[in-house]
Amino acid sequence: MVMQGIHGKAVARWCALLSLAAVAPHASAVPSFARQTGMACEACHTVWPELTHFGRVFKANGYILDNLKQVKGVSPRKDELLSLATLPPLSMMVQISDTQLAKPLPDAAGGATQNGSVAFPQQVSLFYAGKIAPHGGAFIQLTYAHDSGGLQIDNTDIRFADIAVTDSGQSLVYGVSLNNNPTVQDLFNSTPAFGFPYAASSAAPGAPFGTQIDGALAQNVAGLTGYVYFNESLYAEAGFYRSAQQRSLPLDSTATAVVSGLAPYGRLAYEHNWDRHSLSAGVYGATFKLLPGNGKTLAGPTDDYKDVAEDVQYQYAGDHHLVSVQATRIRENATLNATYQDGAGSSNLSNQLTTTRAFATYYYQRRLGGTLGVFETTGTGDAILHTPAGLTPDPTASPDTSGWIAELNYLPWMNTKFSLQYTAYSKYNGRTRDILYDGSGRTASDNNALYVLAWFAF
Amino acid sequence: MKPLTRTVLACLCVGVSVAAFADDPSPDAQQHAKRIAVTTCGTCHGSQGVSQQPKFPNLAGQSAGYLAAQLKAFRAQTRGDADALAYMWGMAAPLDDDTIDALAGLYAAEAATAGRRTADAALVAKGEALYRDGHVEQGVPACAACHGADGHGMADFPRLAGQHAQYVLKQLDSFQTNMRNVAIMHGVASGLTGDDAAAVAAYLESLP
Repeated sequence: MVMQGIHGKAVARWCALLSLAAVAPHASAVPSFARQTGMACEACHTVWPELTHFGRVFKANGYILDNLKQVKGVSPRKDELLSLATLPPLSMMVQISDTQLAKPLPDAAGGATQNGSVAFPQQVSLFYAGKIAPHGGAFIQLTYAHDSGGLQIDNTDIRFADIAVTDSGQSLVYGVSLNNNPTVQDLFNSTPAFGFPYAASSAAPGAPFGTQIDGALAQNVAGLTGYVYFNESLYAEAGFYRSAQQRSLPLDSTATAVVSGLAPYGRLAYEHNWDRHSLSAGVYGATFKLLPGNGKTLAGPTDDYKDVAEDVQYQYAGDHHLVSVQATRIRENATLNATYQDGAGSSNLSNQLTTTRAFATYYYQRRLGGTLGVFETTGTGDAILHTPAGLTPDPTASPDTSGWIAELNYLPWMNTKFSLQYTAYSKYNGRTRDILYDGSGRTASDNNALYVLAWFAF
Repeated sequence: MKPLTRTVLACLCVGVSVAAFADDPSPDAQQHAKRIAVTTCGTCHGSQGVSQQPKFPNLAGQSAGYLAAQLKAFRAQTRGDADALAYMWGMAAPLDDDTIDALAGLYAAEAATAGRRTADAALVAKGEALYRDGHVEQGVPACAACHGADGHGMADFPRLAGQHAQYVLKQLDSFQTNMRNVAIMHGVASGLTGDDAAAVAAYLESLP
């Protein structure tokens, strides 16, 4: 009976993990940009959602390049006061998927849950993505997901930008972005929000622990950042994030992970393009002071997370063959002043967490291709924090999780993608065996998942 | 002048429309063109019309008449090679005639690339022979007859000197398949073997 009780709590934690997977940011392709610019997907994407150099420039410039008939308004001095396409840049996206786990997840009522989970839809999104003003554009995604059962805000980036041209003929793009997910505004696919995997199962357990900048705060923060993009090569950005949670306001003690004050964010990257190649490298990071809430008043000590990351991207775009490689490493130093204070939330005052991901993708004629990649999270073991909720803290508990992903894609048309993705875990939550810490014997590889996805964007 | 060359020239004079510049573009159009040349066109074609990406053609020093005709063909969606569809139909759609003429004049006035020597001297030599004399048995006229002995173009026949070999090869393929529908060039491209095309492209890329 005791085991069943513990087991039930562990199952509850699975549910929490799965719900995390469901709200994880999903990268998106937006045909409304093609409608607006009159250009095919390949101008801005190698294969969506990965951006080409041209796509990065388009994004930095505020999504404003257009060829549609405009409704215009000008001042007597010919200043543009309004520039709106006669048709709004709208798009739809539909994902339908099936997930098969190596071993079904345990059921709270005993036994196992059903395996072979069909999500119809996994996600349906409506986008407004395109120009909204002479120097401004918006990427706004509203998503219905099967587990939310409602329409919710998804990745959003509203930006205003302009360009100065130097005497020597070099461009200097400068702008501001209002967005709701750190790195969603970034130009490169080696940062978290638009990084691989571009779609993931909502029915398989995701990584149990991650850094704050790696999607933990997505859609629950508002960021205002300013950026420059010089000569289409040097990209620098700085700004702040503040909690903007999808719940009733003002935030109170029932909220969780509330940003105290403003969280600074910074980004520096350099890209070099030559022949058919593009290479970029950069750093990004943020510092979040979070009030744990969850019954505690939103004041007093904070849990401080300092995230510093490096990333690199290489792309080769030939007429027939496309290759891209992305890698990032995020290191987080956490000082859990609030969580550690009462001795119940964590065993350590300070923890480190490092997530590393590297992926290589090949496509033949943008139609048939695949990705191979590895992922690893390692960090300080914290008995309370890393033992599944409800169980006796285990001194061997750790966040370490690692594995690999293989994905095969076929695009019969540019805006339709069929994917077969396999995720394999060599370690999960610090263990290869008994990963639930309850003696039920579940292994890391029991979480291996085969995910079949049909992805339509139109 | 060889008879074949004369015939080709006569055909071209009849068949190719030549953009006329009745008036200079307005100062506003010239200013606009100067800006978008860097901020939009420059992303692929280089801020001064010299592209660092061989998929996209160099525009610096190109014939203004040819450039204007191509931009108008993109805008009218009558030039149908794959990259024209993917990129230039959209790019050219919002351009008015005045801006097109200003852009064409701007690029024509830019200093052309100095050319890039390839390591394969034999390939370049073969390309030079084909360029200068054509391949009569295969019905390929001398390229030089229309594009000039130095490859700098003549009238509205485009400059080819210094052009990216990859771009030239792709265009020859587009002419051959009629995706880019130019009758005379279809005949030329159909008569070239793959090796011939590679040689001519290497030679052209090497020319200053």
